Amino acid sequence: MRRSTAAAVGTLTGAALILGVRLSVQPAALPTEAAPVAQQETEEPAPEGTSAPAKKPAANSSSAPKKKETTKPAAEDKGLKSGTYKGKAVQNPYGTVQVTIKVSDGKISSANATYPKTGFSGTINPAAISKLSQQTLKVQSADVDTVSGATFTSQSYKTSLQAALDAAA
Amino acid sequence: MGTVVSIELADDLPEPRLRELIESTCAWLHEVDARFSTYKEDSEVSRLQRREIRPEECSADLRLVLDRCADLWRETDGYFDAYAKGPLDPSGYVKGWSVEVASARLAAAGSTRHHLNAGGDIRMRGAAPNGGPWRVGIRHPWEADKLAWVLTVRDGAVATSGTYERGAHVWNPRTGGPATGLRSVTVVGPDLAVADAYATAALAMGELGLTWLAKRVADGYESAAVTEDGRAFTSPGLPVAP
Repeated sequence: MRRSTAAAVGTLTGAALILGVRLSVQPAALPTEAAPVAQQETEEPAPEGTSAPAKKPAANSSSAPKKKETTKPAAEDKGLKSGTYKGKAVQNPYGTVQVTIKVSDGKISSANATYPKTGFSGTINPAAISKLSQQTLKVQSADVDTVSGATFTSQSYKTSLQAALDAAA
Repeated sequence: MGTVVSIELADDLPEPRLRELIESTCAWLHEVDARFSTYKEDSEVSRLQRREIRPEECSADLRLVLDRCADLWRETDGYFDAYAKGPLDPSGYVKGWSVEVASARLAAAGSTRHHLNAGGDIRMRGAAPNGGPWRVGIRHPWEADKLAWVLTVRDGAVATSGTYERGAHVWNPRTGGPATGLRSVTVVGPDLAVADAYATAALAMGELGLTWLAKRVADGYESAAVTEDGRAFTSPGLPVAP
């Protein structure tokens, strides 16, 4: 499966500027001006287990870390590279927002964001979320190809789930 | 306001060919920007605004855009209005239209499996990389990292308008004030420009938009909406992932 992704900033109503082009088939051949919108973080395997006392194997095996440091080429064919991708933290009128996704086996295994819990937004967020939660829980899966949302600016794109998806492609 | 367009081609084509297709798509989007941006003094739209050219002297593309804006103004009872802010600003139609054209050009050039995401509004075609339909997450209107719905779409468009990203930027032409009542509106249908205009119009209508959206189902446009107090609504045929 050959896939290509690209992100172009600008267009349509504002200043145009190509952000970058990525071809997941041969990442090395890419023009490197492709501004990375996310930084990859290496997952640290928990050190426990190696020096654990041998008398309690059962207790240790339940918390044994899964090793997924080596990214196999097969995973790249499926699309997303394993790892943790963080969007840039950006300040908006409601506080600082930063999106993080984790990718394993070519799929998004989790997505999280820090978002303000105090002040104005802190008072409006929880009530609103609880009313929506039943709908949200029904489709909790974050394994998606793309994300639709209110039009983001090229600035707020950096914090978006879509940017994290593009970074993992 | 600049935005970002993400393009994904899932076609089994040689890499140089994929590269060409992406480059020509980017070139088209930049061409649209140069010709239709209201931020560019020398764009055709800016020149029309200043009456340096008359409507009948405009390019065929711009005349089509103006005609479609007029159609949509009627279809939306005036809530989709290219003159909402005073001078002509067809950006609300141009964005979806330019992506529609980009997708059609890609198809004509041999890419039958792709999606283009323009600032959260998406046009997709053919099968996704895994062979199934494209899985489209609808952003939760309060939590940037959560999805309110996941939709499956093979050929079609998904557009979302909301107040959570840029604040109260959609105006209700009836009250003259900012749109209130709805936090987020998503419309799914065959044409991205129409879906986008419908979503924006419904947002401007407020809760009345929920009734108006229900009538669009007959034209092939399904929808999902979230009110400002967190109630969620979907049309019966919305392609929610199983």
